Amino acid sequence: MPIVELQQVSKAYDTKVAVENLSFKIEPGSMFGLLGPNGSGKTSSIRMMIGITVPDSGSVRLFGQPFDRKNLPRVGYLPEERGLYKKMKVIDQLSFLGQLHGLDATTATKRAYAWCERLEIIEAVQKKTEELSKGMQQKIQFISALLHEPELIIMDEPFSGLDPVNATLLQDTLVDLRQQGRTVLFSTHRMDQVEKLCDTICLIHNGHLVLSGGMREIKSKYPANRVHMIFTGDDSFLNHPSIESVKNYQGIAEIKLREGADAQALLAEAVTKARITRFEVMEPTLEEIFIEKVTAESNKEARESNGFVAGDRVNA
Amino acid sequence: MHNVWLIAKREYLERVRTKAFLISTLLIPILMVGGIVGSLVLGHKTKPTSHIAVVSPDQQLAVDLQSELQNGKDSRMTVEVISPGNSETRATLDSMLVDKQLDGYLWITPAADSSQRPSFSYTPRSAADMVNRDAVRTALRNVIVRERLAHQGMVASDVDALMQPVKVDTTQAGRIADSASSLVAVGVLFVLMYMVILLYGMNVARSIIEEKSSRVFEVLLATIRPEEMMAGKVIGVGAVGLTQVAVWLITAILLTGSSLMGALAGGKVQVSLSAMQIIFFVTYFLLGYLLYSSIAAALGAMVNSEQELQQLNMLLVMPLAGCFFAMAPVMTNPSGLLARVLSIFPFCAPLIMYLRISLSTPPVWEIALSIVLMIATIYAVLWVASRIYRVGILMYGKRPSLPEIMRWLKYS
Repeated sequence: MPIVELQQVSKAYDTKVAVENLSFKIEPGSMFGLLGPNGSGKTSSIRMMIGITVPDSGSVRLFGQPFDRKNLPRVGYLPEERGLYKKMKVIDQLSFLGQLHGLDATTATKRAYAWCERLEIIEAVQKKTEELSKGMQQKIQFISALLHEPELIIMDEPFSGLDPVNATLLQDTLVDLRQQGRTVLFSTHRMDQVEKLCDTICLIHNGHLVLSGGMREIKSKYPANRVHMIFTGDDSFLNHPSIESVKNYQGIAEIKLREGADAQALLAEAVTKARITRFEVMEPTLEEIFIEKVTAESNKEARESNGFVAGDRVNA
Repeated sequence: MHNVWLIAKREYLERVRTKAFLISTLLIPILMVGGIVGSLVLGHKTKPTSHIAVVSPDQQLAVDLQSELQNGKDSRMTVEVISPGNSETRATLDSMLVDKQLDGYLWITPAADSSQRPSFSYTPRSAADMVNRDAVRTALRNVIVRERLAHQGMVASDVDALMQPVKVDTTQAGRIADSASSLVAVGVLFVLMYMVILLYGMNVARSIIEEKSSRVFEVLLATIRPEEMMAGKVIGVGAVGLTQVAVWLITAILLTGSSLMGALAGGKVQVSLSAMQIIFFVTYFLLGYLLYSSIAAALGAMVNSEQELQQLNMLLVMPLAGCFFAMAPVMTNPSGLLARVLSIFPFCAPLIMYLRISLSTPPVWEIALSIVLMIATIYAVLWVASRIYRVGILMYGKRPSLPEIMRWLKYS
């Protein structure tokens, strides 16, 4: 039973289509990454999952049931745009938000202290939110989504704006939660984060699904046709026929091989021309897969829309 | 309901704890006490105790004036009589003014014809000295009237009797004119509602705008409905206003004693009706307050900044002002068609229906209908506001036009 299931979901705001025919499933206990560039419909999809907006068509199922507000206390949500009451004390704030999620005041306060301890912001507990740094505020918001021990944790861009130490701290926390059996969904436009953390992903672009499935399956669909090499000397071997495209950064080259090409042949050629300090054959990164997919799609769209324009002219 | 309570509680506690609330709540009672103490102190001081001189060729007039100014009802002055003055008197008096030995002098020049009044010229030391001038003027009038009356052959005791101030017994007011006391109550209700709505209704709108700009709503909306949030805000912020008004009213009642209490209770005189009136007063005040706060909430949901709100706050006060103009025709005919329609119309009901209840006895069903309609309107306004709010927050940046708002209502 998938814990979240979107079926053919569409949502438009006035004239702008935010999400179109989006379907995906999140299995219980998985770490799910919702990926896409800015403005691709990540936040719109998330808002529909928690009932802030309702899809124009299609359906959203949570915990195996059609969407129902009474299931919302089982969800923890961290919105992309952080919002806390500025003048309120941290502990009062956490207690209030915990109570809104169905906790009683004592439990909420107790858990808030425990979490603040864990995320190393215990000294901020008695302060007003406006006195805190942005990173600290983000941690507090993070805690507020977790106080009621939700089964499903939804986080919209949870690591944006954090320094590496704090980003790692929160990542580790999410990994812990997932090991406790919670389901975690987070959205990000930073694909490199996802590669480490997620076991399932969904890539969207302009409200369309581009790619979805298990991380391993997706990667295995793409052959190891990338070569990363570091060299000194003559770079004329980069014109080798097995190379489809190359990015040459003065001694560091990122190469994409033609289908069926052998990396060994390239290496043999390179050795005769330059001094190789590193030669690595790799799977494409998520980012590369994404860019490839999106470019292919937008080319297709461009062709289609040109066709329409031409057709209109004929009719007129 | 639990969520509404939580939101209201947070809103109330956070606002009551602020220094601004504490200061404004205490400042008004302090001003009231200060005002009363101040006016008592000043009241004693206003009897002029200055030292002036009267120059008059007519000895009798000067002496009468002297006794009036020294022992009169309103003044305790020290008066020198110079009668008659000679050519150097004016120069001497002027130099005494400069030396601050005198506060002023009055120069009386007799009229050529004895039937005419003499002419008076008062020279004060300071041009701003109005207290002495008024005292002198009053004393002069008294003296001249006495003199004239005596001249006409009236006995001194008769003159004294005639000069006694008229006493009007005000304690009887309201005993017969029952519409007058209910009018006072309606007036108090009107002022109270107007004031409270102006002062606090806008706070509801502001608090909703604040929530939008701090972006807290997104976390809240992930667990609660916008309707619950709106209702919680209206109740929470509203309770803050009521607390403050209650503190002020209680202070005022304690300070001024039972007279204000009488006015508030719609005249203590009719005991049987006044209990009912108090109940209706509280009911209609609370419902009216809630209704107007809900409209404020809707306005807050519609706009994105305080400046935009300023442009719309007319909408909040206009129906109330309309009621004010409708009060006169309703009073002359409390059971007329206009009165009956207006008293059921929810935005006017709190004032007009209360006015009708005070003046006559409207049918129970009309009272019930007005209350039911008001509650329904409050609910409807909150529902619309929450719709506007939910859609509005997702497309912030510009103020929606009316057709857009209509379209939003269809979204869910």
